[in-house]
Amino acid sequence: MEEPKYYDIRHISGVSTHIDIENGIIDSAGSSFLDVALLRVLGNKGWGLVNIENFGSRSRKEIDEFIAEAMRYASITEEEIILGDAPSGMLTVPKIKGNPADVSLEEKCELLKSIEAAARIDGIISTRAGYSEGSSTVYFMDSSGNEYSYPVCRSGYGINAIAGRNGDMQAARESERTIGGLNMYHKEHKGLEAAGRALKLLDASPAKGGKMNAVLDQELAGVFAHEAVGHASEGDLVKEGISVLKGRIGEKIGDSALSVVDDPTLHEFGFMPLDAEGVTPKRTEIIKKGILSSYLHNRQTLALIGDGDAGHARAEGGSVPQVRMSNTFIENGDSSYDEIIAECKEGVLLKGSRGGQVDPGRGVFQFNAEYGYVIWNGELAGMIRDVSLSGDILLTMHNIVLCGDDLRLNQGYCGKGGQSVPVTDGSPHILLKDAVVGGQDA
Amino acid sequence: MPEFDSDSIIDDILRKGEKVADEVEVVYGTGKSINASLKGREIGEAGGSELWAFCIRIIDGGRIGSSMTNDPGRWEECLDAAKAGSRFAGVQDWGGLPGPYTPNGTPDKVFDENLDLDSARLTGYVEELLNGASEYEVDVAGGGASVSQSFYKLTNSSGLVYENSRTRVSASLETISGTSTGYESDTSCFADRLDPYDIGKKAAYLAAHSVGAGDIDTGTYDVILSPIAAAQLIGGIIVPALSGKNVKAGRSYFADKLGEQCLDESFTLRDDPFHGQSSRVIDAEGVPTRVLDLVKDGVVNTFTYDLKTAYKYGEESTGSAVRSDSSPAIGFHNLYLEGDRQDIFDEKALYVHDVIGAHTANGITGDFSIETSNATWREGGADGDAVRAAMLSGNVFEMLKSIAGVSKESRELGNVIMPSVRFNNLRVVGK
Repeated sequence: MEEPKYYDIRHISGVSTHIDIENGIIDSAGSSFLDVALLRVLGNKGWGLVNIENFGSRSRKEIDEFIAEAMRYASITEEEIILGDAPSGMLTVPKIKGNPADVSLEEKCELLKSIEAAARIDGIISTRAGYSEGSSTVYFMDSSGNEYSYPVCRSGYGINAIAGRNGDMQAARESERTIGGLNMYHKEHKGLEAAGRALKLLDASPAKGGKMNAVLDQELAGVFAHEAVGHASEGDLVKEGISVLKGRIGEKIGDSALSVVDDPTLHEFGFMPLDAEGVTPKRTEIIKKGILSSYLHNRQTLALIGDGDAGHARAEGGSVPQVRMSNTFIENGDSSYDEIIAECKEGVLLKGSRGGQVDPGRGVFQFNAEYGYVIWNGELAGMIRDVSLSGDILLTMHNIVLCGDDLRLNQGYCGKGGQSVPVTDGSPHILLKDAVVGGQDA
Repeated sequence: MPEFDSDSIIDDILRKGEKVADEVEVVYGTGKSINASLKGREIGEAGGSELWAFCIRIIDGGRIGSSMTNDPGRWEECLDAAKAGSRFAGVQDWGGLPGPYTPNGTPDKVFDENLDLDSARLTGYVEELLNGASEYEVDVAGGGASVSQSFYKLTNSSGLVYENSRTRVSASLETISGTSTGYESDTSCFADRLDPYDIGKKAAYLAAHSVGAGDIDTGTYDVILSPIAAAQLIGGIIVPALSGKNVKAGRSYFADKLGEQCLDESFTLRDDPFHGQSSRVIDAEGVPTRVLDLVKDGVVNTFTYDLKTAYKYGEESTGSAVRSDSSPAIGFHNLYLEGDRQDIFDEKALYVHDVIGAHTANGITGDFSIETSNATWREGGADGDAVRAAMLSGNVFEMLKSIAGVSKESRELGNVIMPSVRFNNLRVVGK
């Protein structure tokens, strides 16, 4: 048998727990078991991949058979893959306070119930709350002799409230996710916040679309950092020629106020002590004072493209590692929130996020705010709803003219190539000139 | 094949399950697949997998619990977890799991007996994708092909036993020319119905045609949504609003509109479980499937129910349960949009091939504001100038009250079968 040039195995085993509450009644609650592994071998040219079920009970002989099978797949690959040198090692995993796995399902149900109950106020016609927890052990080994194992527990809750009046309905949502332990204690105010906002949205006006100045709150500006900047800086997209940031290292692509970072070492929801290729994760400054400084890489794209850091390979479960973001944010500037609103003069303040999407090759992004306010004469005026923002990545980055001093991170999940991984996005408030704002009342 | 006796494990689960609960349901699924991924014009990754899972659901005193494992050695823990979960679930009315079934129709075949999981098939598909793409001057960014076979067995303590095997082939290609991108894909249960050359050619055309695309002024235009764009808006907004669970929980636009004319009188939305890639005689919990006119001639005709929601609210299951994890959920099998079929491409309109950010639409109110992809003017049946940036804004429920027509042909997008849909006077935000 032809020997692989390199191989690695990534195994995830654990338990996932969920609770769903709908209008005061537990709809479902329970746990499922996960045990998946992916073997990657580097053949004469490219990667051969084999998923291994129940890896924990496999013998060395069986692993060797899987390696031989993966080599057969690798034999049909054509792309010559060279792996860049990147330091292998694992960061310290922070100790968590109140491991969710140690708390009974009964107590978690009660905690979630109290958040959900807090949202059921006058005018709210439907509520739904969910809790999810993934407690697993990640094991990594490779043919270079590296071997690591670490525990991880990600958990969080979300609460949706729907307000209704005379046939009109509006929804609002609050959620928090963490790697720091069970986060549902004393969170009734989050249920109330979701309910209060859903009620206010009943009186909000549809947004008027068009080109205008826009202030983005921390959550929505974080989505911009992620969708518009982060994805376009991913080394695999740069390598395949489907990023508008290709070939622009050292170029001033944004206003000097703008610096964007991806930092998997931060103990936030996107934290990883080890990337999916066994490389030590590293803080990467993508844009520094408006200048494109680094791409995010795995070992292959580092060798091929350069200008950046490996340690950004991530994978969902037993899927193939991809270049991904972790904790991505726009750095603090020196403007206060009041200065940003005043400087906007006339436009909109966009708050919260219903998600976004990007076509990094075309350089176009779209995302949707949960709600917002009209800004008139440098002051907040009426509330607006269903307002979105789209634009050209490169043009937009030059139009971010002020960055606030109030950076905040929000947790979520990012989808790419059919895989979903936990991330945080963040930013201070930012002022965006000439934004393309979409609304029904265009 | 897996190195364990799945039938024996299923029997063990049913036997032990009946001792700890009133009823037990076991779903066993297993599948083999192979795939190849293009990195640029070359295959960079190729792989295979053989996966399996056991899903257990128990009902005890009107409380439902479920769990899942892919480790056959842990089925007892899995059963215990389902039982533990049931203790916290709310007590609900429950009329029992279905027993042996009588089909309401004959479903399309979904298993290709001539399909083998051979790597040569993958390399053949990739070659065809690239040949098709070479008809236009574009770069290939990525794509790939996959082939899979799956087996599914549903059993329960009421004596239901159902087995089903499926095959699936798929191919996709992503192209770029300058900053113009194109993407096409297709799937089928049968190898001879997949045309990788055509997929490659279409993906390349999209990128090539959008080169030099112009701007559009903000205003009101006649707009045609392609099957892909229409499927995203209708699938994301209309389908959830017809779910009995959302209706009964008070989060559906259609909640108080059963029997009412809500949409254009030409608009019919049908779930046909017997024709299409997801054809089946019973749903994911053993209820015989049937053709459902969800919306008929613009009138909301029926909501969709699984057993849990139906028993809870005194309704009847519509055989609409589908399964993506340990618990069944309300979904559809093969979704068809029917309308006033005519030549909708003759008069000038903005044709929108795809949209970016459909998932950001407001699922409760139907309001949306999304960016278009590969938009182009189309007149006299032919593409005119491409449009680079155009944001569509509106409300899906309002928009569907007035449809100018649907195309004569529909496109099969997996288990969603959609025509192109023409709307007159939609709001478009230009650059």
